[in-house]
Amino acid sequence: MVLRVRITKGEEARFISHLGFMRAFERAIRRAEIPVAYSEGYHPLPKFSFATALGVGISSEAEYVDIQIDPDGPKISVEEAFDALDRNMPPGIAVVAACWYLGKPALASLIEYASYRASGCGALHEAAEEFMAMDASLGTITTKSGEKEEDIRKLVYSISMADDESLEFICACGGRAHLRPDNLLVHLSSIAGVECDVKRSRIHRTGLFVVEDGELVSPMDYKCKDLVIAKGWMPRELS
Amino acid sequence: MIDKKVLYEEILPSVSQPARYVGNELNSVRRSPKEVEASILLAFPDVYEVGMSYIGFKILYEIVNNIPEFVAERAFAPWPDMEAQMRLREIPLYGLETYEPAKSFDVIGFTLQYELTYTNVLAMLELAGVPLEADARHEGDPIVIAGGPCASNPEPMAAFFDLLVIGDGEEAIVDLMSEVARAKREGAKRADIVNRLAVIDGVYCPRLKNPVSRRVVTDLDEAEFPRKFVVPFLEAVHDRVALEVMRGCTRGCRFCQAGMIYRPVRERGLDNLCSLAKDLVKSTGYDEISLLSLSSADYTQVEELSRKLVQEYADKGVAVSLPSLRVDSFSLELAKELEKSRRTGLTFAPEAGTQRMRDVINKGVTEEDLMSAAADAFESGWDLIKLYFMIGLPYEEDEDLDGIADLSRRVLELGRNMAGKRNKAGRVRVNVSVSSFVPKPHTPFQWHAQNSREELMRKQNYLKERMRVRGLTVSFHNVEASFLEAAFARGGRELAPAIARAAALGCRFDGWSDQFRPDLWAQAFKDVGIDPSAWANKSYAYDEPLPWDHIDMGVSKRFLVREAERAARAELTPDCRTGACAACGACADGVKTRLAGEAWR
Repeated sequence: MVLRVRITKGEEARFISHLGFMRAFERAIRRAEIPVAYSEGYHPLPKFSFATALGVGISSEAEYVDIQIDPDGPKISVEEAFDALDRNMPPGIAVVAACWYLGKPALASLIEYASYRASGCGALHEAAEEFMAMDASLGTITTKSGEKEEDIRKLVYSISMADDESLEFICACGGRAHLRPDNLLVHLSSIAGVECDVKRSRIHRTGLFVVEDGELVSPMDYKCKDLVIAKGWMPRELS
Repeated sequence: MIDKKVLYEEILPSVSQPARYVGNELNSVRRSPKEVEASILLAFPDVYEVGMSYIGFKILYEIVNNIPEFVAERAFAPWPDMEAQMRLREIPLYGLETYEPAKSFDVIGFTLQYELTYTNVLAMLELAGVPLEADARHEGDPIVIAGGPCASNPEPMAAFFDLLVIGDGEEAIVDLMSEVARAKREGAKRADIVNRLAVIDGVYCPRLKNPVSRRVVTDLDEAEFPRKFVVPFLEAVHDRVALEVMRGCTRGCRFCQAGMIYRPVRERGLDNLCSLAKDLVKSTGYDEISLLSLSSADYTQVEELSRKLVQEYADKGVAVSLPSLRVDSFSLELAKELEKSRRTGLTFAPEAGTQRMRDVINKGVTEEDLMSAAADAFESGWDLIKLYFMIGLPYEEDEDLDGIADLSRRVLELGRNMAGKRNKAGRVRVNVSVSSFVPKPHTPFQWHAQNSREELMRKQNYLKERMRVRGLTVSFHNVEASFLEAAFARGGRELAPAIARAAALGCRFDGWSDQFRPDLWAQAFKDVGIDPSAWANKSYAYDEPLPWDHIDMGVSKRFLVREAERAARAELTPDCRTGACAACGACADGVKTRLAGEAWR
């Protein structure tokens, strides 16, 4: 059984590195006494995997983790696991949804898009419209092997202006194609011809998406059951 | 509160490891310093990951915060990039819990764990906006105190502290905080509060230069030990459940300060340790329990304790480890039980290369012990052995250096032969770490001069030439750093201006080889007209007054002299747990060796 959980990385936690975030999650699993499966070998590790890494400084309400449940361990319901995990998260991290995942493919290989909200970007609205009207737009992106020139336009699914000061956008995320949100903001700044200190603009991840029949769907709407959502919390990506 | 918006939006995105500066970890305690009767900022003069590894710091944090009328927060030395940002944006040093400025606390308490953190103490005080010199502080400034092993010779840093706490801190910190609360209630002035604190047992006031005896916790089972640790988001150097199984060590190595000033051996009870382990694993979620002490294999019930812990936690993904190994087969059997993986290598510390030299330092280890332990380790599948040695010890000759090279090569050869039977000879490695002897106060070697820097360099080169063998890696400690350490360990008040000058010139993190600036230190000493070799390289006579004579750490001077003379004759002194009492003086007034399982209650 695979338990899929959606957790946040709040204001107080956004400066934690991805490694630190994973470690914090692992310790929460242990404190919550979730019957997690362990790897074999001299140094058994709990089996869980994150959908994708999040850059240091970016907050999020859509970090997904799949936890492999030990089939020989005590039975646990989604509600019980949700409550136990949420109670044991460190400050700045909360569980907002959980469900059973029934599919085979690994979470990381499923994710194709991520959505973000960037505040303090009023000066980029016009450039964003211009950019979306283009067929292609060459710019610099950061990859594991360094910086390279790439058509950024084809990596962007949509951009919308939520209010006067922020941008909401969906862009490629995952192993096949990936665009860092700050790369897009820098690119839009150069189109707009404005100085935009991207480090200072606040970026928040609002969702991750799987593509099913050409549609973007939440990882929790993809081959999942028994979805439990935190009281009073409405996932933006589902609305 | 400091300007959190500036911190989060301007500063943190631009510094390395920003998680060092945000706090908010699991089990951290938030209680406004303004709403309690007494507050202390526990300040560790090194980077977050180092400070968060130090058990004394965790103990004090827990004890203070378990009392609802008090609060303790934490501050660590900001890395130079962060310090520059804090100065630029005028953000003062602050407590990680509530982001209140350091200056708003009643007390700032520094941990003095290592001499090469002294410039960081001054940098932190300056960032706090607190006058560096105790004499220059006024009403409204926090009371600046310090404790930890380096407080056993407080003089080089004395000018910067209002008070120092000597010895075990568990009880002393409660006495201090209670008195601060009482004095504040009575409306006492800062100077009066300092005077009232100065008369507490174990408290040293540099202004008064009062003779002081260390505080000792007589019964560790009665002393508080944390049942929860603050769990860092960053990986701390020691990021695990650390169970302090005992305090003190009476093996009697003559160079070892910890082995003298924490006497006698006081063990925690087995049931207490099991209960602490249970609560700590539950409250932290750590995947490792480490049995901590100066020599954990000496804990009388170490086998039973390890077995119980392994039984309890093996299937929960929690490992049990021993950080320090004796050079003997008993320790190795334990390591074989505990270390399921052989990847990390095994560390042995013979400390010296010849039997004569090991007898001089009272390291009761023979070459046979080492070779049989190493053979057993290679036999059991370890490919990597780490060896620790010291050079520059009293009475050292070049043949003792030859001994280090010979012994290391013999261990390597042995490993190759044994691993050769498994066709793995090529994988065997021996890492040798060679540090320079630093004479420390309150040890039998306190009267000895450190070798000159030239002599230490010569000895390092001498060894290097004799250890150029494939499979053998040798690393040396920086001689300039060991020289400074010796000067500050054995120095007097005269050194304070040099430390202040070095800090002003920009010296920080002197214990970090990539940050250490011997050139700036040389300039600092020149600027203030002080020659540090007058302390580092000076021999004291037995009857000469020592800068730390007024600090009584339990062991008597008569005992230290006896030990110094036995060292000169290369005579061993047995461990008082198994042999005769050496009359060191540490057992007095209800303080005595307490072993787990003994019916002393």
